[in-house]
This record gives sequence, C-alpha cells and structure tokens, in this order.
Amino acid sequence: MRLELGYIQINDVKFGNKTEVVDHTLYVNKEELIAHLSDDDRLAKVEVELAKPGESIRIMPVKDVIEPRVKVEGPGGMFPGFVSNEEQVGSGRTHVLKGAAVVTAGEVVGFQEGIIDMTGPGADYTPFAHTNNVVILADPVEGLAKHQHEAALRIMGLKAATYLGEVGRNVEPDEVVDYEVAPLFENAAKYPDLPKVVYVYMLQSQGLLHDTYYYGIDVKEMVPTIMYPTEAMDGAIVSGNCVSACDKNTSFHHQNSPVIYDLLEKHGKEICFLGCIVTNENVTLADKNRSSNMVAKLVEFLGPDGAIISEEGFGNPDADLIMNCNKIESLGVKTVLLTDEYAGRDGASQSLADSSPKADAVVTAGNANEVIELPPMDRLIGNSAPADKIAGGFDGSLRADGSIEVEIQAITGATNELGFNKMTARGY
Amino acid sequence: MVKEIERAGIPVVHMCTVVPISITVGANRIVPTVAIPHPLGNPKLSLEDEKKLRRKLVEKALEALQTEVSGQHVFE
Repeated sequence: MRLELGYIQINDVKFGNKTEVVDHTLYVNKEELIAHLSDDDRLAKVEVELAKPGESIRIMPVKDVIEPRVKVEGPGGMFPGFVSNEEQVGSGRTHVLKGAAVVTAGEVVGFQEGIIDMTGPGADYTPFAHTNNVVILADPVEGLAKHQHEAALRIMGLKAATYLGEVGRNVEPDEVVDYEVAPLFENAAKYPDLPKVVYVYMLQSQGLLHDTYYYGIDVKEMVPTIMYPTEAMDGAIVSGNCVSACDKNTSFHHQNSPVIYDLLEKHGKEICFLGCIVTNENVTLADKNRSSNMVAKLVEFLGPDGAIISEEGFGNPDADLIMNCNKIESLGVKTVLLTDEYAGRDGASQSLADSSPKADAVVTAGNANEVIELPPMDRLIGNSAPADKIAGGFDGSLRADGSIEVEIQAITGATNELGFNKMTARGY
Repeated sequence: MVKEIERAGIPVVHMCTVVPISITVGANRIVPTVAIPHPLGNPKLSLEDEKKLRRKLVEKALEALQTEVSGQHVFE
C-alpha cells in the first residue's frame, strides 16, 4: 500500500471572509465553520477561537487535537467510520495542513483535564504550543447523556479538521513524500538481508473517555488486527480519550505517530518494516489474555526478527505491555518497549505497575509525576477551575493569580508514548 | 500494602483483576476479580445475581485466608 503525503506548510492562522490557504496562512470563516459544526442536535452552542505559538494563552480542558488533512486521490476519506464511509484508507494521495491543528476544548465530559500553554515553561511540554490552533468549544444540550456528549465532541473535532483540510485540496504542496509498505511476501522478498520489524500499536480501550476507535469500531470490541502503516496517516485511528492527558494519544498523534514515520524512514535501508498490529488494553484479565495471545500469534504469523511495542496510558495497561512483551519474546522475537513513568515526584518510586526480566530494552518518554509551575496567562480559552481536581492536580493547584502548580501529567502530550516529545530518561 | 501487612504477621488475600501485577508485586494469596472499573461487582448482572457474585468472591477470599500456602497461589 502506497500513500503520497503532500505537506502544505501553515505558518499562521487568521479569521477571514473565506476559508482558504493563501501564502502559508490558513484563513478561517468563523461563521461558516460554526454553522458546519452546529448541525448536531446534541450541541447547544459552538464557539471558535484561535491560539498561535508564543501568545499568552492557556487552553483547558483539552479533549482532542486533530490535524487537518484531505484525501486528494485514492479510495475513502479522512476518519473512516466517522466523517467518511468505511472504505479502506492509506493509499493514493493526501494533503496535510502542516503546522495547523484543531483543538477541542472547554467543558468536556467527566474528567476536566488536558492543558496547553502557548508560551512559558508549559509550552516546552506540549507539541500543540507550536501549532497554529483552531480551538473549538461546545456546550451540550441539557440532559445529554455523558457518552453522547463525548461522541458529539469527538465527531465535532473530526468534522472541523475535515472542513479545514478540504481547503488544501487544490493547493500545491511544499513537499511531497512517498510512504509504502508492500504486501508481506513481496515486501520480505525485496529486502531479504534486512532485519524484519513489526510494530505492535497498543490503544487505550477502558470505557468512557478511555476509548479509541479504528474505522469507527470501539477497539475494546475488536480482536487485534493487522494494519498498513499508511492507514493511520488517513485517520483510521481516532482518539476518544484524554484522562491523564500527558500519555494519551490525541488523534493528531495517531495521524503523525513518530514510530510509524521513523520505521518507514528506515524501511528498505536499515530494516524491512512489515506492518502494524493494532491491539487494545481492556479492563478484564480474560480480555488482556486473549488480546496478548492474539498479538503473539500475529507476530509469529508475520515472522519478524524484532517488534516495537508502544503503550498508551499507564497503570493496568502496564500489564498488557508486559504480557505482549513476554509472549513475543517467548517466540524468540526481540522486543523494544515504549512507555512513560509514574515514578513519584522525586522519581524514586517504581515506574511501572508491572515488569519482566524479558523487558530488557525499554524507552521512556519521561516521568509524568514531575511537578511544574505554570505562570498565569493573559487569556484563558475554556475553564481553569478544574485544575484542583485533574489527574496530576491537587487542592490548591490553581492559585488566585491564575498560576497553576501541577504534575506534567495534566499537560496534553507531555509524556507521549509514541515518542512525539523530546523528553526521556537514561540509566547509566 | 499487601506485603507490609504480611510482614507484620497477618495473612492477606489480594483480591484483584490483573493477576500478573499481583504476582509481580509479590502477593501470596490472590483471588481474581471481575474487571478494573468494578472489581467486586458486575453492572451487567441483575441485582440479585450480582449479590450472589459478590458473596461468592468474599467467601472465596475468606477461604483463601484460612488456606496454608507455601508460595504465591492464585485461587481460581
């Protein structure tokens, strides 16, 4: 499967009379976008704000971040199973508004976490301080059930990203990059001397605000399956989770997973990248056993030399991570695990809830319990009152001057386990 | 907590959903439970059936507490 990605660099975002890209600036017709998103009887009111890198703006609570993209050639459209039909995606050509992002924020469902500071020390911890953000806030109609509220906000974000992405359809990209992984036998025959690698892509799937979707399917309802890497670039995986926002993959992360892009970069040069195994992190031991068994079976079936396994979240998903590791290593296939740590504020506590002697190659994206002081910002988009109650917050987190003392756990993407950030920890 | 209480000479049963974690942390008497969001209940059952399930789990734990073990043991 081969996909061309056309990158259209976006350096600025402004409101305008017409939604379009002119000279690397994304103009947004606010009224038209609001009208487009208001076509959902679960939402009472939709607002749109802009937030650019370097501005003194705090966005919270953040639910999801999505990159505007559009399918220019080939089957299907963005976010299959949601805003497009269930066509197989990942081939043809897709245009990307690189440097722009949709952020869904404001009052979300249940847990009110996820902070993005566009400047100051917090900006170093979130990649979305460095994107030109179109922030969407929405109020649900009165009495809307929580799971419906979550679904409405999730789909609203995908619709906004699709609406904005559409203006890139006829823009000449600044750069076009080809990504290709051939069918298994053809792929392996092309690179017989290179080590074969598969990627085990673990997705959070633990209930309301802890769910992820693949072609519209709630992944807790599926058994592990095989995915071409380019499918993720077309939005095949969608986030429905934001609790402990530091290590939850937003939809933007799924579209831009560094694991996938880096493996494709090395594909045919240093390694032979066979593809991805998409799996879940469910709440019963039976499900954990079943899924890790099937992951190991698919790994055996594909016959790689090594597997990279990324976790999403922490706590009991550490058990899924270790079960995947143990079972894959038992096949004689080497593994590298990607995770983060909850090692206490001083970093001295046990980092993961589970471990194994077989897990001898582990990359960490940092310690989520590290405390940071976020100074007050000139403008707040959303609501900062929940700061005392969010995961990583505590009584007194939010101070009278608007500053927030909080664990980096609360910052969107701070310890992203796909390695999207620059942070790590090393043992000597 | 399981290990510290046992260190004080009081036997402990660890009732938990993710048995592998319980084994890693070193619990000796382990009773597997239902699911992470609801270890000792099951909202899919009727109230009557759920009560039966809860009683069964507690009785199993009490039985485990009185059972001699020579190492880590999972009471399935």
